[in-house]
Amino acid sequence: MRSSLSEKYAIVGAAASDLGRTGMSALALLEQAMRRAVDDAGLTMKEIDGLICRGPDDIYTHHQRMGRRLGIDARFSTSLDNGGASQILAVILAVMAIDAGLCTTVLCGYGRDSWTRTHRSSESRTSMDLVPAEQRPTEFSAEYGYFGAVATHALGARRHMYEYGTTREQLGHVAISFREHALRNPEAVMKEPLTLDDYLSARLIVEPYGLFDCSLVSDGAGAVVVTSADRAKSLKQPPVLIRGFGSFNNLTGWFEEDHMIRTAAAQSAKAAYEMAGIEPKDVDTAQLYDCFTGMVIVQLEDYGFCKKGEGGPFAQSGALRLDGALPTNTSGGQLSEAHVEGMLQIVEGVRQLRHTYPPERQVRDAEIALVSGHGGNTVCHSTLILRRGA
Amino acid sequence: MNVNGTLPVPRPSKETQPFWEAARERRLVMPRCDECGRYTFPPSLACPYCGRGELRWVEVSGRGRVFSYVVFHRVYHPAFRDRVPYVVAVIALDEGPRLLSNVVGVPAERVECEMRVRAVFDDVRDGMVIPQFTPEEAT
Repeated sequence: MRSSLSEKYAIVGAAASDLGRTGMSALALLEQAMRRAVDDAGLTMKEIDGLICRGPDDIYTHHQRMGRRLGIDARFSTSLDNGGASQILAVILAVMAIDAGLCTTVLCGYGRDSWTRTHRSSESRTSMDLVPAEQRPTEFSAEYGYFGAVATHALGARRHMYEYGTTREQLGHVAISFREHALRNPEAVMKEPLTLDDYLSARLIVEPYGLFDCSLVSDGAGAVVVTSADRAKSLKQPPVLIRGFGSFNNLTGWFEEDHMIRTAAAQSAKAAYEMAGIEPKDVDTAQLYDCFTGMVIVQLEDYGFCKKGEGGPFAQSGALRLDGALPTNTSGGQLSEAHVEGMLQIVEGVRQLRHTYPPERQVRDAEIALVSGHGGNTVCHSTLILRRGA
Repeated sequence: MNVNGTLPVPRPSKETQPFWEAARERRLVMPRCDECGRYTFPPSLACPYCGRGELRWVEVSGRGRVFSYVVFHRVYHPAFRDRVPYVVAVIALDEGPRLLSNVVGVPAERVECEMRVRAVFDDVRDGMVIPQFTPEEAT
């Protein structure tokens, strides 16, 4: 049964910052995206009374820094800590806070400066530098030469290959489909076409993952404005209604049970579909958290777009392309647009439902968009289902 | 990050000290609930499954299977520059618990999921010994 919160709230503003190699700090990037999102909504900062955000993990009380930059004294504000699942969680929390009467208009966002941070000097050039020293594990990790998110996710891809016969070619089709989308997006970081040969001949990072299985090291931020659906009617943009949401967290860990190949997305999806009163076949476009190619394949299964184990063939069939059965990551995703921990997935979901793209980027007649986010090495998951307002 | 290439060694906490002390004696120990018998690794203060029991370190067989594995080609740490490509795996011990380790003594391309393995021990440095795994048939 549909929840009473379904379509009671809407996203009325959405924007991205400059993307790629900006030389900007994570805070400046998010400030830029947030100012643009408020502008996009036709609002002023004075009308924002809630702020929920996140940045690099070494920035303490992140929302305080953002509030100062934006000149907001918020009735409700906090920073989140669910990794890549935080960005959708910010929207969920915004709905809850508004519904509880704590505030009326919430600005949500996330920003990172991964490229600038790792290219500041020749000494700081590995993705390990993105993990604050005090957050690195002290045992059961580095002594075995185990470093980084690529390896964690590659363990899942390997097990999926073993269980279901998934191939590197199939993973490659995820990367290729999203690259095709990026080529239609002038803001996307990746500008060159990608062929299956390019994919297969690229250097290996942590096998089974090679270079093009991995999301980009890029700068970027995104932001959205959440308010009531009633108020949305009188604002500047075509409203995009928050139809449903869900979350689930496999806190017992990535190595436990079959969490690597049947992720928390399955339970999060169920909750979101139930709240929205829809089924997988009703989804017109998916914006999935693509930190690595294999995670897209697992989510296609966990979200019920295909059967368990058939995510590889589904991707290989061309289903993810703009003209496919399920146009997915239509801006290029984290693999080819920019890696902003799922925030740009929300922005793209909103933009597709506004129907303001030129035909070569628009998912035709898109009414429902599904957005996913996961984090903390994929143990936390959240889901957002959006519907085009009247 | 360590730039001089010294191999990283574990920095145990009070709770994990028994694991590393046993490794130094070439034994593999795991925390087991004294009520329900399930293993929990890394340890917590009480059993997360039944919530009743206390966890006690018991010696396990050191035998199990490769649940999943990856092959590092990229050098993330200078101490591993001469080791790539090397295998990091999640090992499912016969007694139940899973742990992260390496598969050694076999070329990376011969490692497979579900391959049977047994524990071996490697002196890293400064008296720290880590358990690794090697195919069961190799002696």
